[in-house]
Amino acid sequence: MTAIRIIAANTFREALRDRILYLFLGFSIVLLASSKLFGILTVGEQDKIIKDMGLAGIQFFLMLIAVMMSVLLISREIDSKTVYYILAKPVRRWQFLLGKYVGLLATVLVNLFLMSVMLVLFVWLYGGGFDPRLFLATSMIGLEMAVLVAFATLFSVLTKPILGSVFTLAVFVVGHVSQDLWLLTRHLPGSVGRTLVSLLYYVVPNLERFNFKTEVVHQLPIPAAAIGLSLVYGLVFTALLLVLACLKFEGKDLQ
Amino acid sequence: MKRVWVTLLVVALLLAGTVVAERALQRVERPDPLGRKLLYLPSADMLRLASLGNAGLTADILYLWSIQYYAQYGLNDRFLYLETVFDLITDLDPLYHDAYRVGALIIQLPNTDEEIHKKAVIRLFDKALRNMPGNHEIAEAAAWDMYIRYRDMANALRYLKVAAEIPGSPHRLKRFLGAWSEDEEGWSFENSISYWVEVRETAKTDYDRAVCEKQIYRLVASRDEDLLNPVLEDWTARYGRCPDRWESLVEAGWLGAVPVDYFGQSYRILPESCSAMATESVRFD
Repeated sequence: MTAIRIIAANTFREALRDRILYLFLGFSIVLLASSKLFGILTVGEQDKIIKDMGLAGIQFFLMLIAVMMSVLLISREIDSKTVYYILAKPVRRWQFLLGKYVGLLATVLVNLFLMSVMLVLFVWLYGGGFDPRLFLATSMIGLEMAVLVAFATLFSVLTKPILGSVFTLAVFVVGHVSQDLWLLTRHLPGSVGRTLVSLLYYVVPNLERFNFKTEVVHQLPIPAAAIGLSLVYGLVFTALLLVLACLKFEGKDLQ
Repeated sequence: MKRVWVTLLVVALLLAGTVVAERALQRVERPDPLGRKLLYLPSADMLRLASLGNAGLTADILYLWSIQYYAQYGLNDRFLYLETVFDLITDLDPLYHDAYRVGALIIQLPNTDEEIHKKAVIRLFDKALRNMPGNHEIAEAAAWDMYIRYRDMANALRYLKVAAEIPGSPHRLKRFLGAWSEDEEGWSFENSISYWVEVRETAKTDYDRAVCEKQIYRLVASRDEDLLNPVLEDWTARYGRCPDRWESLVEAGWLGAVPVDYFGQSYRILPESCSAMATESVRFD
């Protein structure tokens, strides 16, 4: 555990030193501020637009952080040869990988927290009242990012850095439309095709399971089971991806 | 050094050229006979997919765009595909209250083809009520739009009934419903009185209660006046003069008791017209 914690802390510090993270944070602040401008352009509910813009902005920028950082996650360690020094110490490969994952996830979550606080403040400042449920929506975005960062970690050991980023981005896109695969199974005529599409549906993550934006923006009730099961789904999927990543990294030739 | 300056000059000239061309293009008026900007709007399903879980934000962007688009007075054909646009927005976010409200207002703007536009407004409000069955504000807005813009009392009453029956809706909706229904559906005094008594029972404030009392008072007085005036006419015909007090009619056996209004006050007899008149009026604090 100590090894994982130290590697995670280093990854986090390294990520914070990357100016690109501050750039994204700045961008998100600008976006949240501009949401007020969109609010002025509308007739009626301004806070709905600010919430929609804010939540979508948070999701988008966190996704960018996950995608961009995944390029550097392992490759930078190999390029700078620091991985050899680390693995020469009593650190197992899976510990190294998990440390990198936790560090990257921590970076994402710290940004998420800052952006969430900012969003809640903006909504409050612009007359939408204090809406703590926004933290629920952003927490679920955090869970989505945990899955996405796990994918980024897996791809960083499976393939080349640029391809890893492209694949992570593809997972984000596909993950948000995969629900339609399930709908497709109902319309397919043959049982073989239906089974194949069903299998594909279960293999591809359904990131819409973590989407509670509509309920939060419109103040709708959210069943506790939906939150609980989404949590289980996200954690199990993340664990699966990390196990696969660790297995692959164990046998990876680092030369 | 000279080469650098020449390069910079060329870049600046080219940039200026694009600015000039763009500004010139802005001045060129191009007809949009088929609402070209609207014709290629993708379906709600496609947009929902493309929004990657942000259908609400996509609806916001479309809504903001629609407000700017329909605010351009220069576009004569801007009302083409109007219903389609707001249908799309409310498909993306079925709980978008403002999109229904503002959409209906914009659809009401054209003075041509009123019947067609009215049907579109009704479809949009019906969709709103299907998606937000507990929203009394939208039902009330629909009722007023039908009443004020189209003078369509049947639909106005239909929406107002829906609004008034929604739990938690303001008490005034029940009162409007009573007032409109009395006129439109030709309620009898008895029906009206029993409705207002029922509405009074649901009143939560003194003001609401007082308004109901006033209505009941008015109805009871009108009903009694309708009953008493023929009696006074008969008395005048028989005795050649108007009675100065009700007791005369009671003593003669024409009435069982001195008639009193809703608050127990005796009605007045107006000597000029020889008619009954309520003496009390309800006051509001």
